[in-house]
Amino acid sequence: MTATSRAAGASPRRRLSDLLEQERVLGYVLVGPVVILLLALVAYPFVVAVGYALSSRTIADPGVFIGFENFVYLWESQIYRRTVRNTCLFTLGSVTIRIVLGVSLALILNEMFPFRRLVRASVLLPWIVPTVLGTMAWLWMFNPNFSVINWALVNFGLVSQGPNWLTDPDLALFSVTLVNAWRGTPFMAVVVLAALQAIPNELYEAATIDGAGKFQRFRYVTLPLVMPVLLTALVLSIIWTFSDFGIVYGLTRGGPMNSTHVLATLSYEAGLRAGNIGEGAAISLTMLPALLVLIVWQLRRIRRSAI
Amino acid sequence: MIRENPKIIRRRKLGRRSVLAAGGGVAAAASFGFPSIAQSSLRGTRLTVLASNWFVPENNTQLDQLAADVSRDTGMEVRIERFAGDELSTKVASVIATGRGADIAVGVEFDTYLYANRLADVTELADEIGRTYGGWFDVAQAACMVNGRWRSLCIGQAPAAWNYRVDHFAAAGINQFPDTFDDLLKAAQTLHARGTPIGMTLGHASGDGRSTNYPVLWAFGGKEFADDGRTVTLDSPQTLQAVEWYAEIYKYFIPGTTAWLDADNNQAFLASRISATVNVNTIYLASRAAADPARKAVADNMNHGLWPRGPAGRFANYNINVWLPFASSQNQEGQRAFLRAWYSRNFLPNWTKTGQSYFIPTFAGFDKEDVWPADPKLQIFRELNKLNRLPGHSGPPTPAAAEAVSKYILVDMFAKACTGQMKPAEAVKWAAREYEQIARRRRN
Repeated sequence: MTATSRAAGASPRRRLSDLLEQERVLGYVLVGPVVILLLALVAYPFVVAVGYALSSRTIADPGVFIGFENFVYLWESQIYRRTVRNTCLFTLGSVTIRIVLGVSLALILNEMFPFRRLVRASVLLPWIVPTVLGTMAWLWMFNPNFSVINWALVNFGLVSQGPNWLTDPDLALFSVTLVNAWRGTPFMAVVVLAALQAIPNELYEAATIDGAGKFQRFRYVTLPLVMPVLLTALVLSIIWTFSDFGIVYGLTRGGPMNSTHVLATLSYEAGLRAGNIGEGAAISLTMLPALLVLIVWQLRRIRRSAI
Repeated sequence: MIRENPKIIRRRKLGRRSVLAAGGGVAAAASFGFPSIAQSSLRGTRLTVLASNWFVPENNTQLDQLAADVSRDTGMEVRIERFAGDELSTKVASVIATGRGADIAVGVEFDTYLYANRLADVTELADEIGRTYGGWFDVAQAACMVNGRWRSLCIGQAPAAWNYRVDHFAAAGINQFPDTFDDLLKAAQTLHARGTPIGMTLGHASGDGRSTNYPVLWAFGGKEFADDGRTVTLDSPQTLQAVEWYAEIYKYFIPGTTAWLDADNNQAFLASRISATVNVNTIYLASRAAADPARKAVADNMNHGLWPRGPAGRFANYNINVWLPFASSQNQEGQRAFLRAWYSRNFLPNWTKTGQSYFIPTFAGFDKEDVWPADPKLQIFRELNKLNRLPGHSGPPTPAAAEAVSKYILVDMFAKACTGQMKPAEAVKWAAREYEQIARRRRN
């Protein structure tokens, strides 16, 4: 009796069991749910968004296919071009501040000092509090007429008049960037701290015996070992900052004079407030190329390190 | 064989019954005397109403009570779901896009012409209601009618007045609120010199941004669109004149107005940091009700003024709330029953009076109704109620005009000139270009 005829004569349960014994079949079965989830939750919305971006769709009207007209329209708009510039500066500025502050904070928190656990827990507060709550507090601190920061600066005699945090276009962009960095720094610090704690002490001892100073120990031991984690946190930070909405919308609604509009807030205004779903989707999709490059780079890096 | 959905059969039966019931209902409803709306055909149905929170809390309680009364009298379960401003507009957009989630909602005037084809035709009801209250104002028709059909019903408008400190003005030798833009400029100079400046919102404030800035453009004779609503006419000598006036008066503002959101001018006025600003009567109502003597003193020392008269006349722009009856609703009979109850004589005048002129229904006949607060400082709102114009004036309101509002183009035109980021003529050209782009795409 051949194997095939044996299988044909076996019970369905047995046949299924035999089928799953084959590595190739089992592989597809195991990966199947993930593929279905990805198709439903990632691929489908993405394809729909691309379809919207290439159409004249509004909230109340399915519209028609218009090719790249939405993108051409956007490119001709000064507001959009300004928004792209803002988004790049916002992301670059925020991520730079996060790295510098996050790594510094992690190095400090890695040292022994009284109430270390309490301090570590409190550092996480900006990351934990809801975005709206944190933004409201900053709105009060940056208020054009009642800024508590300006009050302190003036009353301590440091300046005669406080900075126009949200009024001056350049300073307004810096202010929203600062708030975003404030919110994201704890994440960076905690991730780097975890990486620092995983470094074996023997490596530092060996380096010290070899005559390495404090800076050299950081440069040749700490940094290389923290770098993989730092890069992952960096990529995540860039993605999150690039698509941030709540902080800018809460503080300025993109004003004054569109000086703080980022792609997410402009997309909301075009897609939901003005009802142009097609334009809103096109604005969102302009984030894609930059984020795609980052994601592909990150995935390749992860694969290389896995090998 | 095609099998009919039992739900559809039931709906059709309800429809037939409602036609029979309407025979008796029309006579009863003619007086708009709630609770004469009893309709047995509604028993067991449900009506979901999306609403925001109006400033006067009693107005919200009245809506809740109305829902309870309609539920009791019709047997239809009326459920009110409340959302904050921006959240509500997102929810409305979601109902429009999906056709699910609610039967009726509080919307704003733009919603009518952005979503016209997804809203039920309520023309007959609007005509009946209009007759009851002496006719709708033109602005209500502009806000609610598309292609000659009513697609929404105006709830009311929140008139934005000039709020000013009588004591500060008197100390500067000004005994009444300026009636021309030249006089307003002179007043701003004097008040600034005395350390009590004025402030007009130039930030991305969804309400105050437009109610503060559109009237300046119109008063100088500037127009976004020609009467056809399609041709952009913003780049004109009149617009330039308006921008130049704004750039001049801005020198005498309190610093920071380009970052002001909707709450900022209220805060500055309540803290006595400014002598005048454009706002609805919430500053006055809040300070009048305050327990804090300093806050209460603001109410004692303030009053409301009309917009100054410009070369082209006196104009104003207010936020309008409308009832949006979703065409996707499976309970259109219930929508009408609820709207009849809302506009009934037993409800609407009382709701209006309770609202202290914060929200005023847009009926010509209301001028003679007992709906106006006795407070002398709120008397001016009866006059203000007649001045409102919609963005896009003097053309009809269009999706292009709504898009320009949502992108704050006019606000930014003034702000760019005021802050020196652009010369007035450049700012006008910049704004006209943005308008052209919007209009061209909307035409295609």
